[in-house]
This record gives sequence, structure tokens and C-alpha cells, in this order.
Amino acid sequence: MHLNAIPLLFLQSAEDVQMEIQRLRHNYDFLSYGLIAAWAILAIYVLMLVSRERKLKREIGSLKAMLEERQR
Amino acid sequence: MRDKILYGIGAIALAIIVRNLLVMTTLPEEAQQGAIFKIIFFHVPVAMTAMMCAAAALIASVLFLITRNFKYDSLAVSVTEVGLAFLAANLVTGSIWGRVIWGVWWVWDARLTSALICWLLYAGYLMLRHAIEEPTQRATFAAVFSIFAFIDVPIVFFSIKWWRTQHPQPVFWGGGSFPPDWFAVFMWNWLAMVLLGILLTAVRLRQENAQREIDSLRRMAHAL
Repeated sequence: MHLNAIPLLFLQSAEDVQMEIQRLRHNYDFLSYGLIAAWAILAIYVLMLVSRERKLKREIGSLKAMLEERQR
Repeated sequence: MRDKILYGIGAIALAIIVRNLLVMTTLPEEAQQGAIFKIIFFHVPVAMTAMMCAAAALIASVLFLITRNFKYDSLAVSVTEVGLAFLAANLVTGSIWGRVIWGVWWVWDARLTSALICWLLYAGYLMLRHAIEEPTQRATFAAVFSIFAFIDVPIVFFSIKWWRTQHPQPVFWGGGSFPPDWFAVFMWNWLAMVLLGILLTAVRLRQENAQREIDSLRRMAHAL
């Protein structure tokens, strides 16, 4: 909460204070959703890269094995 | 050696991000918007990194068309894919911010629409590459498409100046300013995102080289 807002809270009713607390909580909830979403997107992309890397390594290995067998 | 450098870049980026998340919790809330304003520390750096990726893709595409060297094609596809992930993070964080401040997840204003079109264009670039089998033709068409797609980048950047948009004016470029400690967190986060972008691009570039090795091994297998 911004410090300037604290004196104003004392002038308001209990209901207003409750609403302000709810608004702040709502704000924090959405901030955390935003951060989680942003990192989730980047994490999913990293997982895609990791799985592609494994697939490529497997493919290179099997192709090299096949070529060696054919050359024999 | 190269792997060690990449791990080092990743470790530095991660350390900066963790440090910034901790520092962010100690910063006071913005007077008008409250805590949700702090999303700017991620929303803008990921957008700037995505734009840098688009610029790198443009340069690599132009260089490919001039030199016909496939290493530039590999670079173009790598930075485009990484930029697309960053732009997706930018769109999602912006949408969540909009839900709190505007009360809606999305508005069709010039900045948001042009950013979405930018994402779709670069997604189209990746789809185009999947659709063309022949490597030289694929690289040429993709390079031309990437240059065309970049036209949208300055439109995204300047849209808030050219048209009246619901999207806020930029903090630094619109006459506003940050307190020094906020500015430091913002710049450190940008650095972390750039480092992360470099790391992901290097990993993706290595995969593109592996794919070329697979293609040449397949050709050898056919020849035998």
C-alpha cells in the first residue's frame, strides 16, 4: 500500500477499509498470476528445447549406427 | 568450453532474476495502480528483448539473402523462435495487467493489436518453414517473409505515439521517470532477459546445426 493512503484509511468506514484491503489483495493476486504466467511460458519453451535436443541426439545416434552398419 | 560459457550466462541470468524478485518485494507500491504496476519490471523487458530478437532476425535474413550462407538462416530461425516466446510472455503479462486496471483482458487498440499481429506474423514464419521441404527454397522464402514481418515491429513500437491508444504512454520516453531504485531493478531485469535470450538462442542454434547434420547423414544413407 502507498504510504500516502494510510491517513485516508483512518477517515473511512470499516466497510471502506475492507474494500481497500480486498482491492490490494486482488492486485497482489493478479501480480503473482502475471509473473507465474510469464515464467510458465518461458519454462514451457525451455522444456520444448530440452525434448527437441533429446530427439535430435537420438536421431543422430541411430543414423550414425545405420551408416556404420551399411558401410560394413 | 562453449557449454561452460552458456551455463555461466544462464547462472548469471537466474541470479539476477532471483535477486530482482526479492528486491521487488521491498519496493513500495505505485500510488495509482498499486502492486500490479510492478508487472512492468517483466512486461517491458520481455517486450524489448522480443524486439531485439526481431531486429536480429531481420539482420540475419538480409545477410542470408546477400551471402546465401546457411548459418544466417539458422540464426534467423533461432532468434525468431526465442523472440516469439518472449513476445508471448509480454502479451500475457499485459493482458493480466489490463484485467486489473481496465477491467478487461483485452482491448483492440493499436498497441495490443499490432503486437498480436507481430506474434502471428512470426508464428507464420515458423509455420512457413515447416511447409517447405527444400532447404534453399525454405531459407530464401523464410528470409523474405522475415523482412516483411519486421515491418510490423516499428508499428508496434510507435503505435502509442501515432494513435490515441488505451495502452499507457511509455514511462521513460513519454516524459515520465522512475525512482532510481526502480530504474535499477528495471534495467537489471532487462539485462537478465537479454542474457536468457542469448542462452536460449545459442541452444536453439545448436539444435539447428544438429538438424543440418541429420539432413547430411540422411543424404549419405540414401547414397550408400
